[in-house]
Amino acid sequence: MNLLTRIATILSFLGHYPAYILAYIIETLIVIIFATVVVAGMVYFFRKYMARVQMRIGPNRVGKFGILQVMADGLKLIQKESIMPQGRDDLPYKVAPLIIFIALIMGFIFIPYGPLAWLGTLTVTHSDVSLVILFALIAIMPIGELLSGIVSNNKYAVLGSLRGVAKDVSFEVPMMLSVLAIVMMASARNASPLDLNGIVQAQNIPFAILEPLGFFVFLISMAARASYSPFDMGESDSELVTGNTTEYSGLRFGMFYLGLFGTIFLGSMILSTLYLGGYNGPFVNYVGFIWLLIKTLVIVVISLTIWLSMPRVRIDKFVSFGWKYLLPISFINLVLTGFLVLGGIS
Amino acid sequence: MESDLTHKYIELNMGPQHPSTHGVLRLKLTLDGETVKKVEPVIGYLHRNAEKICELDFYCDALIYFDRMDYVGAMNMEVGYLEAAEKLLNIEPPERVKWIRVIMAELNRIASHLVWAGAFGLDLGMLTPFFYVFEEREKVLNLFTEICGSRQETNYMSIGGVYQDFNDKIIYRIKEFLDEFPKKLEEIYNLFVKNDVFISRTKNIGILEPEVALSYGVTGPMLRASGVPYDVRKDEPYLVYDKVNFTVPISRKKDVLARFIVRFEEMRQSVKIVKQALEKLPDGPYFNPKARKSLMIRLRGEGDVFARTESTKGEFGVYIVGDGSVKPYRVHVRSPAFKNLSVLPYLSRDVLIADMVAISGSIDLVFGEVDR
Repeated sequence: MNLLTRIATILSFLGHYPAYILAYIIETLIVIIFATVVVAGMVYFFRKYMARVQMRIGPNRVGKFGILQVMADGLKLIQKESIMPQGRDDLPYKVAPLIIFIALIMGFIFIPYGPLAWLGTLTVTHSDVSLVILFALIAIMPIGELLSGIVSNNKYAVLGSLRGVAKDVSFEVPMMLSVLAIVMMASARNASPLDLNGIVQAQNIPFAILEPLGFFVFLISMAARASYSPFDMGESDSELVTGNTTEYSGLRFGMFYLGLFGTIFLGSMILSTLYLGGYNGPFVNYVGFIWLLIKTLVIVVISLTIWLSMPRVRIDKFVSFGWKYLLPISFINLVLTGFLVLGGIS
Repeated sequence: MESDLTHKYIELNMGPQHPSTHGVLRLKLTLDGETVKKVEPVIGYLHRNAEKICELDFYCDALIYFDRMDYVGAMNMEVGYLEAAEKLLNIEPPERVKWIRVIMAELNRIASHLVWAGAFGLDLGMLTPFFYVFEEREKVLNLFTEICGSRQETNYMSIGGVYQDFNDKIIYRIKEFLDEFPKKLEEIYNLFVKNDVFISRTKNIGILEPEVALSYGVTGPMLRASGVPYDVRKDEPYLVYDKVNFTVPISRKKDVLARFIVRFEEMRQSVKIVKQALEKLPDGPYFNPKARKSLMIRLRGEGDVFARTESTKGEFGVYIVGDGSVKPYRVHVRSPAFKNLSVLPYLSRDVLIADMVAISGSIDLVFGEVDR
C-alpha cells in the first residue's frame, strides 16, 4: 500500500480516474512543499553550522534560535525592488532563475522516498525510467545558469557563465559514466535498472562499497553541479563579484540562492539513493524514509564542511582535472563494474 | 595594445567597489577570455591629503594622520613618523620608551599580518580562516585598548615618549597572549598550507625575480619572499632592534606562497621579539621631559631629516623639512604599499583572472597608505 493509492481510496467517490489524477496532484504538491520547506530548513541549518565552524553565533534574533530567519529573509527578498539592468534580453533574463528553480523542484518528485509508518511508500512516480528523467532534469539546470549570464548585459556575468559552462562540460561526462556503472550493477539483479526504486531495492550491499571509485566521481560531480566552493567558478565572488547572478536582485536572486541549497540537498539525496542504499535499513517498512533523510543529512554535512574549508579551484585546473582524472577514473570504474557483474559478485 | 586589435579584448573594470580589491583599488583589466593581458591600477580614491595636512599642524599633532595611513598597522606608522620627528626636533626618547615602542610595533605587526592572511584567504574563496584570524587579532586589539584606550588608530606614541606607561597588569596580559598565540598561529597556518587547493592556487604564481623587485622598489615581505634579506630592522636598526635577537625570514621560491610563508614566519619572529623586549624592559620615565605636554606645541625644528623604518608592508620612509617654526614645512612619506603595488602590472601579464586576484592579494595593500 502506498500513499498514492491511499489518497485515491479516500477520493474514490469521484470515480477511478479522477481520483487517481487528483491523488497524483495532491502528492506532487506535498512533495514540492516538503522540498521547499526542507531547502529553507537547510539554509537555516547551513547558517548555524557555518557560524559554529567559524566561531560565530549565527542567526538568533528572529524567532526562537533564529528559526524564522530564513522566512524573514525570504519576505525581505519578496518586498525588495527587483533592479533589472538596461540592455538585458528581457524574457531569458526573467526565465533563467525559473528554469533552475523548477528543474530543481521537479527533481524531488522522482526520488524514491521509501515507506514511512502507516502512510506507506511516499514515492510519487512509479515510472520505469525515473533515473533518466531525473538526470534529464538535472541537465536542464545549466541552461538557466548560462542564460542568466549571457543575457544580463554584464561582463562579470558573461565571464561567470563562461566558467560555469567550462565546469559543466568537464564533470558531466564522468558523472553520467558513473551512473551507467550503477545501471549495469542494478541490471544484474533487477528487472528495471532504470527505475530509481529498482536501484534502491537492488542494494542489499550499498553500491558505495562495490564501486568506491564511482562514488568518489559522483560525489565530486554533485559538488560541482551544486557549485559550492571549491567548485563555485560560476559565482566566483571575490573575482567576478557574483558571476552569472551579478545583475539579479530581489526574488530572482532568492531563487538562485535557494537553487544552490536545493541542489546540495537534491544531490545528497541522489547520492544516498544511488550509492548508500537509499531508504534501505533496519525496519525498512516503517522508517525507510527516515533512513533516507539520515543518509542525506550526513552527505549534506560533509558537503558543507568541504564548502567551508576549501578555496576556489582555478577553472583551468578543474577542467584538466575533469578530463584527465575524473573521466579515466569513471572508465576504470565502468570496467571494474563489468568484471563484478560478470563474476556474479554484485 | 594596438588600437586595431582592441576589439578582440574585453575591457573589464574591477573596483573601486569590488569584493577583492582591498579598500578602493580600481583595476582596469584588458582580458582575452580569462587571460589578463594588461592591468592598469587606478589609485587615489582614498586620497585625503594627509601630507599637506601635516604641514598645517604642530609637530605633535601630525601623528594622528599617520595613524590613519596604514590603519591596520598604525603603531608602525607612529614609529616611522616619530623616528623622523624626534631626529629633527633633537629629542631622544628614554630607554624604556624605546622598548615599549618595539613591543607595540611588533604586536601590531602580528595583527596586521593576521588581517592580511584573512583577506588573502577571502580572495581565494576561503571564508573560514578569516574569522579565525580576526579572533586572534581581536586579542591584540584588546591589549591595545587596555594600553592606549583605542583599538585601531591608537595615537599612543607621542614625541619623546608614549601616552601612558606599561603597568604590571598589562605586561601580564601581553605575556598571557604570547603564551597562547603561537599554538593558534600554527593552527591558522595549517588551515592554509595543509590544503592542497590552496597550494595549487599559490605555488608558482606571480613569480617576482629579485632584480625586478629591486628595480621597482619593492620592499618588505614581498622582497624577502624573493630572496633578498633586506629588513630595515636588521640593516639599519632603529629603536632597540639591535639589542634583540631575531632572524629575517626569506624565501627563494619568489611566488605567492613564499610571501604567505614569509609573513607567517615574521609573526613568529615578532612573538620572539616581544618576549625578549618584555624581559629586557627597563625602568625609567615614559616620556622625555623636554617634550612634556606643556612644551609640546612649542617644539621647533630646522633642517631636513629622512628616517626609514620597517612597517608591516615594507620600508616606510618619512621625510620632514622644518623651517624653524612650530609646524613642519613639508612632510613626505615613502609608502611601501604604493611601491609594491607598482609591480602588479608586471606580475599580472598573461595570467588568469583568478591568479591576478591572488597576486594582488599577496601584495598586502592598505589604501590609506597608498593614497595617503
